Amino acid sequence: MVNETPLRVTGDGSKEGSIAREKNGEKAEIFISPRFKSAAAMAGWDEEDLIIASFVVDDTPERSSSKRRRRSNLLFKSTSPSSSSSRRRQRVKQSPIRLPVIDLDEVIRHEEEKSAEKKRETKTETKEEKKVLEEKKNSTSVVLPCIDKLRDELSCAICLEICFEPSTTTCGHSFCKKCLRSASDKCGRKCPKCRQLIGNGRYCTVNTVLWNTIQLLFPKEVETQRAAASSAKSPSPRNHQNQRVRSRNNRDQERLQREDLSRLFVSNEDRSERRRRGASVRLDQDGDAAFAMRLQRQEFASAFGVTATNATSSSSSSASTLLLARANLRAMASRAVRRQG
Amino acid sequence: MMTPGGSGRFKPLPTAMYAGYSGTASSWVAKTSVSASGKRIQREMAELNVDPPLDCSAGPKGDNLYHWIATIIGPLGTAYEGGIFFLDIVFPSDYPFKPPKLLFKTRIYHCNVDTAGNLSVDILRDSWSPALTITKVLQAIRSIFLKPEPYNPALPMIARLYLSDREKHDEVAKEWTLRFAK
Repeated sequence: MVNETPLRVTGDGSKEGSIAREKNGEKAEIFISPRFKSAAAMAGWDEEDLIIASFVVDDTPERSSSKRRRRSNLLFKSTSPSSSSSRRRQRVKQSPIRLPVIDLDEVIRHEEEKSAEKKRETKTETKEEKKVLEEKKNSTSVVLPCIDKLRDELSCAICLEICFEPSTTTCGHSFCKKCLRSASDKCGRKCPKCRQLIGNGRYCTVNTVLWNTIQLLFPKEVETQRAAASSAKSPSPRNHQNQRVRSRNNRDQERLQREDLSRLFVSNEDRSERRRRGASVRLDQDGDAAFAMRLQRQEFASAFGVTATNATSSSSSSASTLLLARANLRAMASRAVRRQG
Repeated sequence: MMTPGGSGRFKPLPTAMYAGYSGTASSWVAKTSVSASGKRIQREMAELNVDPPLDCSAGPKGDNLYHWIATIIGPLGTAYEGGIFFLDIVFPSDYPFKPPKLLFKTRIYHCNVDTAGNLSVDILRDSWSPALTITKVLQAIRSIFLKPEPYNPALPMIARLYLSDREKHDEVAKEWTLRFAK
Protein backbone atom coordinates (compact mmCIF):
# COMPACT_ATOMS: atom_id res chain seq x y z
CA MET A 1 0.00 0.00 0.00
CA VAL A 2 2.82 2.32 0.84
CA ASN A 3 4.43 1.56 -2.46
CA GLU A 4 1.39 2.71 -4.26
CA THR A 5 1.76 6.28 -2.99
CA PRO A 6 3.11 8.27 -5.89
CA LEU A 7 4.49 11.14 -3.84
CA ARG A 8 7.68 9.72 -2.52
CA VAL A 9 11.28 10.66 -2.61
CA THR A 10 13.55 8.04 -4.10
CA GLY A 11 15.93 6.79 -1.45
CA ASP A 12 19.18 7.71 -3.22
CA GLY A 13 21.22 8.29 -0.10
CA SER A 14 19.44 11.54 0.74
CA LYS A 15 18.99 11.03 4.46
CA GLU A 16 16.49 13.75 5.01
CA GLY A 17 14.18 12.06 2.54
CA SER A 18 14.21 8.46 3.68
CA ILE A 19 14.81 6.94 7.07
CA ALA A 20 15.71 3.32 7.25
CA ARG A 21 14.63 1.29 10.23
CA GLU A 22 14.39 -2.32 11.25
CA LYS A 23 11.01 -3.88 11.53
CA ASN A 24 10.33 -7.59 12.04
CA GLY A 25 13.83 -8.36 10.92
CA GLU A 26 13.18 -6.69 7.58
CA LYS A 27 14.49 -3.40 6.47
CA ALA A 28 11.60 -1.02 6.00
CA GLU A 29 11.99 2.47 4.71
CA ILE A 30 9.79 5.34 5.60
CA PHE A 31 9.41 7.88 2.93
CA ILE A 32 8.29 11.38 3.59
CA SER A 33 7.19 13.47 0.70
CA PRO A 34 8.81 16.88 0.25
CA ARG A 35 5.43 18.57 0.30
CA PHE A 36 4.60 17.02 3.64
CA LYS A 37 8.03 17.98 4.87
CA SER A 38 7.54 21.56 3.85
CA ALA A 39 4.15 21.57 5.48
CA ALA A 40 5.70 20.13 8.64
CA ALA A 41 8.41 22.78 8.53
CA MET A 42 5.71 25.42 8.32
CA ALA A 43 4.05 23.88 11.33
CA GLY A 44 7.36 24.03 13.16
CA TRP A 45 8.23 20.32 13.05
CA ASP A 46 11.78 19.31 12.53
CA GLU A 47 13.26 16.04 11.28
CA GLU A 48 13.18 14.20 14.59
CA ASP A 49 9.55 15.05 15.19
CA LEU A 50 8.72 13.64 11.83
CA ILE A 51 10.62 10.45 12.58
CA ILE A 52 8.86 10.07 15.91
CA ALA A 53 5.55 10.72 14.23
CA SER A 54 6.32 8.07 11.67
CA PHE A 55 7.14 5.58 14.44
CA VAL A 56 3.86 6.37 16.12
CA VAL A 57 2.05 5.82 12.88
CA ASP A 58 3.88 2.57 12.37
CA ASP A 59 3.15 1.30 15.86
CA THR A 60 -0.59 1.73 15.56
CA PRO A 61 -2.30 -1.62 14.97
CA GLU A 62 -2.69 -2.56 11.35
CA ARG A 63 -6.07 -2.22 9.85
CA SER A 64 -5.13 -3.21 6.38
CA SER A 65 -6.81 -6.61 6.65
CA SER A 66 -10.19 -5.15 7.50
CA LYS A 67 -9.74 -2.49 4.85
CA ARG A 68 -8.94 -5.18 2.37
CA ARG A 69 -12.01 -7.06 3.39
CA ARG A 70 -14.10 -3.99 2.98
CA ARG A 71 -12.51 -3.42 -0.35
CA SER A 72 -13.20 -6.95 -1.43
CA ASN A 73 -16.77 -6.49 -0.29
CA LEU A 74 -16.96 -3.42 -2.42
CA LEU A 75 -15.56 -5.37 -5.28
CA PHE A 76 -18.11 -8.09 -4.75
CA LYS A 77 -20.79 -5.52 -4.51
CA SER A 78 -19.92 -4.24 -7.92
CA THR A 79 -19.99 -7.72 -9.38
CA SER A 80 -22.73 -9.43 -7.42
CA PRO A 81 -24.95 -7.18 -5.30
CA SER A 82 -27.44 -9.98 -4.65
CA SER A 83 -25.20 -11.78 -2.13
CA SER A 84 -25.32 -9.03 0.49
CA SER A 85 -29.05 -8.59 0.10
CA SER A 86 -29.52 -12.32 0.56
CA ARG A 87 -27.49 -12.07 3.73
CA ARG A 88 -29.71 -9.29 4.91
CA ARG A 89 -32.70 -11.47 4.20
CA GLN A 90 -31.17 -14.24 6.27
CA ARG A 91 -30.69 -11.86 9.12
CA VAL A 92 -34.29 -10.74 8.86
CA LYS A 93 -35.38 -14.34 8.96
CA GLN A 94 -33.31 -15.09 12.04
CA SER A 95 -34.25 -12.05 14.02
CA PRO A 96 -37.81 -12.92 15.18
CA ILE A 97 -36.65 -16.18 16.68
CA ARG A 98 -33.40 -14.92 18.03
CA LEU A 99 -34.43 -11.73 19.74
CA PRO A 100 -36.67 -13.06 22.52
CA VAL A 101 -34.31 -15.96 23.12
CA ILE A 102 -31.31 -13.77 23.71
CA ASP A 103 -33.38 -11.36 25.74
CA LEU A 104 -34.41 -14.00 28.27
CA ASP A 105 -30.95 -15.27 28.96
CA GLU A 106 -29.29 -11.93 28.88
CA VAL A 107 -31.81 -10.51 31.28
CA ILE A 108 -31.18 -13.34 33.70
CA ARG A 109 -27.45 -13.02 33.41
CA HIS A 110 -27.70 -9.26 33.76
CA GLU A 111 -29.70 -9.62 36.95
CA GLU A 112 -27.23 -12.11 38.32
CA GLU A 113 -24.40 -9.75 37.61
CA LYS A 114 -26.32 -6.94 39.22
CA SER A 115 -27.03 -8.94 42.33
CA ALA A 116 -23.41 -10.01 42.50
CA GLU A 117 -22.33 -6.41 42.22
CA LYS A 118 -24.74 -5.41 44.92
CA LYS A 119 -23.44 -8.16 47.15
CA ARG A 120 -19.94 -6.95 46.55
CA GLU A 121 -21.00 -3.42 47.32
CA THR A 122 -22.73 -4.39 50.52
CA LYS A 123 -19.70 -6.41 51.53
CA THR A 124 -17.39 -3.50 51.02
CA GLU A 125 -19.82 -1.22 52.79
CA THR A 126 -20.06 -3.50 55.78
CA LYS A 127 -16.28 -3.72 55.83
CA GLU A 128 -16.04 0.03 55.82
CA GLU A 129 -18.61 0.26 58.56
CA LYS A 130 -16.65 -2.22 60.62
CA LYS A 131 -13.53 -0.20 60.11
CA VAL A 132 -15.31 2.96 61.16
CA LEU A 133 -16.71 1.21 64.21
CA GLU A 134 -13.29 -0.02 65.17
CA GLU A 135 -11.89 3.44 64.76
CA LYS A 136 -14.65 4.77 66.92
CA LYS A 137 -13.92 2.13 69.53
CA ASN A 138 -10.31 3.16 69.49
CA SER A 139 -11.27 6.80 69.75
CA THR A 140 -13.62 6.08 72.65
CA SER A 141 -10.89 4.14 74.38
CA VAL A 142 -8.66 7.14 73.83
CA VAL A 143 -11.22 9.58 75.24
CA LEU A 144 -12.24 7.16 78.00
CA PRO A 145 -11.48 9.43 80.98
CA CYS A 146 -14.20 11.90 80.02
CA ILE A 147 -16.56 9.54 78.20
CA ASP A 148 -18.66 8.98 81.31
CA LYS A 149 -19.07 12.70 81.80
CA LEU A 150 -19.98 13.00 78.15
CA ARG A 151 -22.49 10.21 78.58
CA ASP A 152 -24.13 12.07 81.45
CA GLU A 153 -24.04 15.31 79.54
CA LEU A 154 -25.52 13.85 76.37
CA SER A 155 -28.21 11.73 77.99
CA CYS A 156 -31.83 12.80 78.01
CA ALA A 157 -33.11 13.87 81.43
CA ILE A 158 -36.47 12.25 80.72
CA CYS A 159 -35.53 8.74 79.61
CA LEU A 160 -32.04 8.89 81.13
CA GLU A 161 -30.61 7.26 77.99
CA ILE A 162 -28.33 8.79 75.41
CA CYS A 163 -30.39 11.40 73.58
CA PHE A 164 -32.03 9.87 70.54
CA GLU A 165 -32.69 12.54 67.92
CA PRO A 166 -32.21 15.36 70.40
CA SER A 167 -34.16 18.55 70.08
CA THR A 168 -33.19 21.66 71.93
CA THR A 169 -35.63 23.96 73.68
CA THR A 170 -35.54 27.74 73.43
CA CYS A 171 -33.99 27.79 76.89
CA GLY A 172 -31.13 25.64 75.62
CA HIS A 173 -31.90 22.24 77.13
CA SER A 174 -31.85 19.14 74.95
CA PHE A 175 -34.00 16.04 75.19
CA CYS A 176 -34.99 13.20 72.92
CA LYS A 177 -37.49 14.49 70.41
CA LYS A 178 -40.03 11.88 71.48
CA CYS A 179 -39.48 12.47 75.19
CA LEU A 180 -39.83 16.22 74.86
CA ARG A 181 -43.00 15.87 72.85
CA SER A 182 -44.66 13.55 75.34
CA ALA A 183 -43.45 15.73 78.22
CA SER A 184 -45.07 18.81 76.70
CA ASP A 185 -48.22 16.80 76.03
CA LYS A 186 -48.54 15.42 79.55
CA CYS A 187 -46.85 18.01 81.75
CA GLY A 188 -47.56 21.24 79.94
CA ARG A 189 -45.34 23.31 77.71
CA LYS A 190 -42.58 23.84 80.21
CA CYS A 191 -38.97 22.86 79.95
CA PRO A 192 -38.52 19.78 82.13
CA LYS A 193 -35.22 21.13 83.37
CA CYS A 194 -35.81 24.81 84.05
CA ARG A 195 -39.61 25.10 83.83
CA GLN A 196 -39.42 27.90 81.30
CA LEU A 197 -42.17 28.02 78.75
CA ILE A 198 -41.21 26.38 75.51
CA GLY A 199 -42.48 28.02 72.38
CA ASN A 200 -44.73 27.03 69.58
CA GLY A 201 -43.69 23.60 68.39
CA ARG A 202 -40.14 24.57 67.61
CA TYR A 203 -38.97 21.90 69.98
CA CYS A 204 -39.87 19.27 67.42
CA THR A 205 -36.83 19.92 65.26
CA VAL A 206 -33.76 17.77 65.75
CA ASN A 207 -30.56 19.50 66.78
CA THR A 208 -28.48 18.03 63.99
CA VAL A 209 -25.07 18.99 65.31
CA LEU A 210 -25.81 17.43 68.66
CA TRP A 211 -27.36 14.38 67.04
CA ASN A 212 -24.34 13.83 64.79
CA THR A 213 -22.02 14.25 67.75
CA ILE A 214 -23.98 11.70 69.73
CA GLN A 215 -23.93 9.29 66.81
CA LEU A 216 -20.18 9.66 66.55
CA LEU A 217 -19.53 9.27 70.25
CA PHE A 218 -22.02 6.53 71.11
CA PRO A 219 -22.65 4.48 67.98
CA LYS A 220 -23.51 1.37 69.98
CA GLU A 221 -26.11 3.01 72.18
CA VAL A 222 -27.72 4.77 69.25
CA GLU A 223 -27.84 1.50 67.34
CA THR A 224 -29.54 -0.37 70.20
CA GLN A 225 -32.06 2.43 70.68
CA ARG A 226 -32.77 2.48 66.99
CA ALA A 227 -33.25 -1.26 66.96
CA ALA A 228 -35.62 -1.01 69.92
CA ALA A 229 -37.57 1.77 68.22
CA SER A 230 -37.84 -0.15 64.95
CA SER A 231 -38.91 -3.33 66.74
CA ALA A 232 -41.54 -1.41 68.69
CA LYS A 233 -42.89 0.22 65.54
CA SER A 234 -43.97 -1.50 62.37
CA PRO A 235 -40.94 -2.14 60.18
CA SER A 236 -39.96 1.30 58.98
CA PRO A 237 -37.51 1.82 56.11
CA ARG A 238 -34.53 3.32 57.86
CA ASN A 239 -31.16 3.93 56.31
CA HIS A 240 -29.40 1.01 57.85
CA GLN A 241 -32.17 -1.36 56.79
CA ASN A 242 -32.20 -0.30 53.17
CA GLN A 243 -29.54 -2.80 52.21
CA ARG A 244 -31.46 -5.64 53.75
CA VAL A 245 -34.60 -4.49 52.03
CA ARG A 246 -32.78 -4.35 48.72
CA SER A 247 -31.47 -7.88 49.07
CA ARG A 248 -34.94 -9.01 50.08
CA ASN A 249 -36.29 -7.44 46.91
CA ASN A 250 -33.75 -9.38 44.90
CA ARG A 251 -34.81 -12.57 46.59
CA ASP A 252 -38.43 -11.73 45.95
CA GLN A 253 -37.72 -11.22 42.29
CA GLU A 254 -36.01 -14.58 42.07
CA ARG A 255 -38.90 -16.21 43.87
CA LEU A 256 -41.35 -14.55 41.52
CA GLN A 257 -39.45 -15.92 38.56
CA ARG A 258 -39.55 -19.36 40.03
CA GLU A 259 -43.23 -19.01 40.76
CA ASP A 260 -43.80 -17.99 37.18
CA LEU A 261 -42.20 -21.21 36.05
CA SER A 262 -44.22 -23.26 38.52
CA ARG A 263 -47.38 -21.48 37.34
CA LEU A 264 -46.47 -22.66 33.89
CA PHE A 265 -46.39 -26.25 35.14
CA VAL A 266 -49.67 -25.81 36.92
CA SER A 267 -51.40 -24.27 33.96
CA ASN A 268 -50.09 -27.08 31.81
CA GLU A 269 -51.53 -29.73 34.10
CA ASP A 270 -54.79 -27.85 34.45
CA ARG A 271 -55.18 -27.66 30.75
CA SER A 272 -54.48 -31.31 30.21
CA GLU A 273 -57.10 -32.18 32.82
CA ARG A 274 -59.61 -29.83 31.26
CA ARG A 275 -58.92 -31.47 27.94
CA ARG A 276 -59.71 -34.85 29.40
CA ARG A 277 -63.05 -33.47 30.57
CA GLY A 278 -63.57 -31.98 27.11
CA ALA A 279 -64.67 -28.53 28.26
CA SER A 280 -63.91 -25.15 26.69
CA VAL A 281 -61.80 -26.54 23.92
CA ARG A 282 -61.32 -23.35 21.99
CA LEU A 283 -59.98 -21.43 24.94
CA ASP A 284 -57.65 -24.29 25.66
CA GLN A 285 -56.38 -24.25 22.14
CA ASP A 286 -55.60 -20.57 22.33
CA GLY A 287 -53.97 -21.02 25.69
CA ASP A 288 -52.05 -24.02 24.46
CA ALA A 289 -50.78 -22.06 21.49
CA ALA A 290 -49.51 -19.37 23.80
CA PHE A 291 -48.07 -21.99 26.10
CA ALA A 292 -46.37 -23.73 23.20
CA MET A 293 -44.88 -20.40 22.15
CA ARG A 294 -43.58 -19.80 25.63
CA LEU A 295 -42.19 -23.30 25.82
CA GLN A 296 -40.46 -22.84 22.50
CA ARG A 297 -38.88 -19.69 23.78
CA GLN A 298 -37.76 -21.47 26.89
CA GLU A 299 -36.32 -24.22 24.75
CA PHE A 300 -34.37 -21.77 22.66
CA ALA A 301 -33.26 -19.97 25.74
CA SER A 302 -31.98 -23.17 27.26
CA ALA A 303 -30.19 -24.10 24.06
CA PHE A 304 -28.50 -20.77 23.78
CA GLY A 305 -27.93 -20.61 27.50
CA VAL A 306 -26.03 -23.91 27.38
CA THR A 307 -23.78 -22.73 24.60
CA ALA A 308 -23.22 -19.42 26.30
CA THR A 309 -22.36 -20.99 29.63
CA ASN A 310 -20.05 -23.43 27.91
CA ALA A 311 -18.35 -20.63 26.08
CA THR A 312 -17.89 -18.49 29.15
CA SER A 313 -17.47 -21.51 31.47
CA SER A 314 -19.29 -19.64 34.22
CA SER A 315 -22.20 -21.88 35.21
CA SER A 316 -23.47 -20.61 38.55
CA SER A 317 -25.88 -22.53 40.73
CA SER A 318 -28.85 -20.37 39.81
CA ALA A 319 -28.20 -20.95 36.11
CA SER A 320 -28.17 -24.69 36.71
CA THR A 321 -31.47 -24.48 38.59
CA LEU A 322 -32.97 -22.56 35.72
CA LEU A 323 -31.79 -25.25 33.33
CA LEU A 324 -33.34 -27.86 35.58
CA ALA A 325 -36.59 -25.96 35.56
CA ARG A 326 -36.53 -25.87 31.78
CA ALA A 327 -35.88 -29.58 31.61
CA ASN A 328 -38.84 -30.12 33.90
CA LEU A 329 -40.96 -27.95 31.68
CA ARG A 330 -40.01 -29.96 28.65
CA ALA A 331 -40.85 -33.19 30.44
CA MET A 332 -44.22 -31.83 31.49
CA ALA A 333 -44.99 -30.70 27.98
CA SER A 334 -44.18 -34.08 26.52
CA ARG A 335 -46.37 -35.75 29.15
CA ALA A 336 -49.23 -33.42 28.25
CA VAL A 337 -48.81 -34.28 24.59
CA ARG A 338 -48.92 -37.99 25.43
CA ARG A 339 -52.12 -37.47 27.43
CA GLN A 340 -53.66 -35.71 24.48
CA GLY A 341 -52.82 -38.61 22.25
CA MET B 1 -34.86 -7.49 79.22
CA MET B 2 -32.04 -5.13 80.03
CA THR B 3 -30.75 -2.99 77.25
CA PRO B 4 -27.71 -4.70 75.77
CA GLY B 5 -25.87 -1.46 75.19
CA GLY B 6 -25.79 -0.41 78.78
CA SER B 7 -25.71 -3.83 80.39
CA GLY B 8 -22.43 -3.02 82.01
CA ARG B 9 -24.07 -0.38 84.08
CA PHE B 10 -26.72 -2.66 85.53
CA LYS B 11 -25.60 -4.52 88.59
CA PRO B 12 -27.80 -6.54 90.89
CA LEU B 13 -28.80 -4.59 93.96
CA PRO B 14 -27.23 -5.41 97.29
CA THR B 15 -30.03 -7.60 98.56
CA ALA B 16 -29.37 -7.12 102.26
CA MET B 17 -30.30 -3.46 102.09
CA TYR B 18 -33.99 -3.91 101.51
CA ALA B 19 -36.41 -5.66 103.80
CA GLY B 20 -38.91 -7.01 101.30
CA TYR B 21 -36.46 -7.54 98.53
CA SER B 22 -35.24 -11.02 97.77
CA GLY B 23 -33.81 -12.85 94.80
CA THR B 24 -31.62 -11.69 91.95
CA ALA B 25 -32.18 -8.71 89.71
CA SER B 26 -33.43 -10.82 86.83
CA SER B 27 -36.24 -12.37 88.85
CA TRP B 28 -38.26 -9.19 89.06
CA VAL B 29 -37.10 -7.73 85.79
CA ALA B 30 -38.49 -10.69 83.93
CA LYS B 31 -41.99 -10.11 85.28
CA THR B 32 -42.31 -6.51 84.16
CA SER B 33 -42.72 -5.18 80.70
CA VAL B 34 -39.97 -3.08 79.21
CA SER B 35 -42.04 0.01 78.72
CA ALA B 36 -40.52 3.46 78.64
CA SER B 37 -41.34 3.93 82.31
CA GLY B 38 -39.87 0.55 83.23
CA LYS B 39 -36.69 1.35 81.38
CA ARG B 40 -36.43 4.68 83.07
CA ILE B 41 -36.97 3.13 86.52
CA GLN B 42 -34.29 0.55 85.80
CA ARG B 43 -31.94 3.34 84.80
CA GLU B 44 -32.70 5.21 87.99
CA MET B 45 -32.02 2.12 90.03
CA ALA B 46 -28.66 1.69 88.36
CA GLU B 47 -27.90 5.34 89.02
CA LEU B 48 -28.85 4.96 92.67
CA ASN B 49 -26.51 2.00 92.96
CA VAL B 50 -23.62 3.78 91.34
CA ASP B 51 -24.04 7.10 93.09
CA PRO B 52 -26.38 6.91 96.11
CA PRO B 53 -27.43 10.23 97.65
CA LEU B 54 -26.33 11.08 101.18
CA ASP B 55 -28.34 9.38 103.95
CA CYS B 56 -30.75 7.85 101.44
CA SER B 57 -31.30 4.44 99.88
CA ALA B 58 -34.05 3.03 97.74
CA GLY B 59 -34.97 -0.02 95.73
CA PRO B 60 -37.87 -2.21 94.61
CA LYS B 61 -39.90 -3.74 97.41
CA GLY B 62 -40.33 -7.11 95.76
CA ASP B 63 -41.12 -8.36 92.30
CA ASN B 64 -42.78 -5.14 91.22
CA LEU B 65 -40.47 -2.63 89.64
CA TYR B 66 -43.02 0.13 90.21
CA HIS B 67 -43.22 -0.32 93.96
CA TRP B 68 -40.17 0.73 95.88
CA ILE B 69 -39.17 1.19 99.44
CA ALA B 70 -36.80 3.94 100.54
CA THR B 71 -35.01 4.86 103.74
CA ILE B 72 -33.80 8.23 104.84
CA ILE B 73 -31.50 8.55 107.81
CA GLY B 74 -32.14 11.65 109.88
CA PRO B 75 -29.35 14.08 109.07
CA LEU B 76 -26.82 14.97 111.75
CA GLY B 77 -27.45 18.19 113.63
CA THR B 78 -31.22 18.07 113.24
CA ALA B 79 -34.07 16.97 115.46
CA TYR B 80 -34.36 13.81 113.35
CA GLU B 81 -30.73 12.76 113.95
CA GLY B 82 -30.28 9.02 114.28
CA GLY B 83 -33.75 8.13 113.11
CA ILE B 84 -34.40 5.83 110.17
CA PHE B 85 -37.46 6.81 108.21
CA PHE B 86 -39.07 4.39 105.80
CA LEU B 87 -40.96 5.56 102.78
CA ASP B 88 -43.13 3.79 100.23
CA ILE B 89 -42.68 4.85 96.64
CA VAL B 90 -45.21 3.99 93.97
CA PHE B 91 -44.39 4.90 90.40
CA PRO B 92 -47.32 5.62 88.09
CA SER B 93 -47.46 3.78 84.77
CA ASP B 94 -46.76 7.01 82.87
CA TYR B 95 -43.73 7.85 84.97
CA PRO B 96 -41.73 10.10 84.54
CA PHE B 97 -44.48 12.29 83.14
CA LYS B 98 -46.44 11.93 86.36
CA PRO B 99 -44.78 12.21 89.79
CA PRO B 100 -44.17 9.16 91.96
CA LYS B 101 -46.29 8.85 95.09
CA LEU B 102 -44.28 8.92 98.28
CA LEU B 103 -45.62 7.98 101.69
CA PHE B 104 -43.86 8.05 105.03
CA LYS B 105 -44.23 4.67 106.70
CA THR B 106 -42.47 5.88 109.81
CA ARG B 107 -44.27 8.45 111.91
CA ILE B 108 -42.53 11.80 111.97
CA TYR B 109 -43.11 15.15 113.60
CA HIS B 110 -42.70 17.44 110.61
CA CYS B 111 -44.79 20.30 109.27
CA ASN B 112 -44.59 18.97 105.70
CA VAL B 113 -45.71 15.42 106.53
CA ASP B 114 -49.31 14.80 107.56
CA THR B 115 -50.52 12.11 109.96
CA ALA B 116 -51.10 9.64 107.14
CA GLY B 117 -47.53 10.12 105.95
CA ASN B 118 -48.34 12.23 102.87
CA LEU B 119 -45.79 14.83 101.91
CA SER B 120 -46.53 18.40 101.00
CA VAL B 121 -43.61 18.93 98.71
CA ASP B 122 -44.28 20.98 95.61
CA ILE B 123 -42.05 18.91 93.33
CA LEU B 124 -44.22 15.86 94.07
CA ARG B 125 -47.36 17.72 93.04
CA ASP B 126 -47.64 20.70 90.72
CA SER B 127 -43.97 21.37 90.24
CA TRP B 128 -43.14 17.87 89.14
CA SER B 129 -40.90 17.69 86.12
CA PRO B 130 -40.05 14.60 84.10
CA ALA B 131 -36.41 15.59 84.43
CA LEU B 132 -36.56 14.85 88.17
CA THR B 133 -35.41 11.48 89.38
CA ILE B 134 -36.09 9.57 92.56
CA THR B 135 -32.59 10.49 93.69
CA LYS B 136 -33.45 14.16 93.46
CA VAL B 137 -36.77 13.58 95.22
CA LEU B 138 -35.01 11.84 98.11
CA GLN B 139 -32.49 14.64 98.30
CA ALA B 140 -35.35 17.12 98.43
CA ILE B 141 -36.91 15.21 101.31
CA ARG B 142 -33.61 15.15 103.09
CA SER B 143 -33.39 18.90 102.63
CA ILE B 144 -36.79 19.43 104.28
CA PHE B 145 -35.41 17.47 107.23
CA LEU B 146 -32.68 20.07 107.45
CA LYS B 147 -34.96 22.97 106.74
CA PRO B 148 -38.74 22.49 106.95
CA GLU B 149 -41.01 24.57 104.73
CA PRO B 150 -43.55 26.09 107.13
CA TYR B 151 -45.19 28.19 104.43
CA ASN B 152 -46.30 25.09 102.52
CA PRO B 153 -47.33 22.91 105.41
CA ALA B 154 -49.18 19.62 105.60
CA LEU B 155 -49.87 20.24 109.27
CA PRO B 156 -50.26 23.98 109.97
CA MET B 157 -50.12 23.40 113.72
CA ILE B 158 -46.55 22.13 113.56
CA ALA B 159 -45.63 24.88 111.10
CA ARG B 160 -46.94 27.50 113.50
CA LEU B 161 -44.97 26.00 116.36
CA TYR B 162 -41.87 25.80 114.18
CA LEU B 163 -42.15 29.50 113.36
CA SER B 164 -43.02 30.69 116.84
CA ASP B 165 -41.07 28.39 119.10
CA ARG B 166 -38.33 26.54 117.26
CA GLU B 167 -36.82 24.97 120.41
CA LYS B 168 -40.06 23.38 121.53
CA HIS B 169 -40.69 22.11 118.02
CA ASP B 170 -37.26 20.47 117.92
CA GLU B 171 -37.81 18.90 121.33
CA VAL B 172 -41.05 17.26 120.21
CA ALA B 173 -39.48 16.16 116.97
CA LYS B 174 -36.59 14.50 118.86
CA GLU B 175 -39.06 12.71 121.09
CA TRP B 176 -41.00 11.40 118.10
CA THR B 177 -37.80 10.31 116.38
CA LEU B 178 -36.74 8.40 119.46
CA ARG B 179 -40.14 6.83 119.85
CA PHE B 180 -40.93 5.88 116.23
CA ALA B 181 -37.76 5.95 114.15
CA LYS B 182 -35.28 3.95 116.21
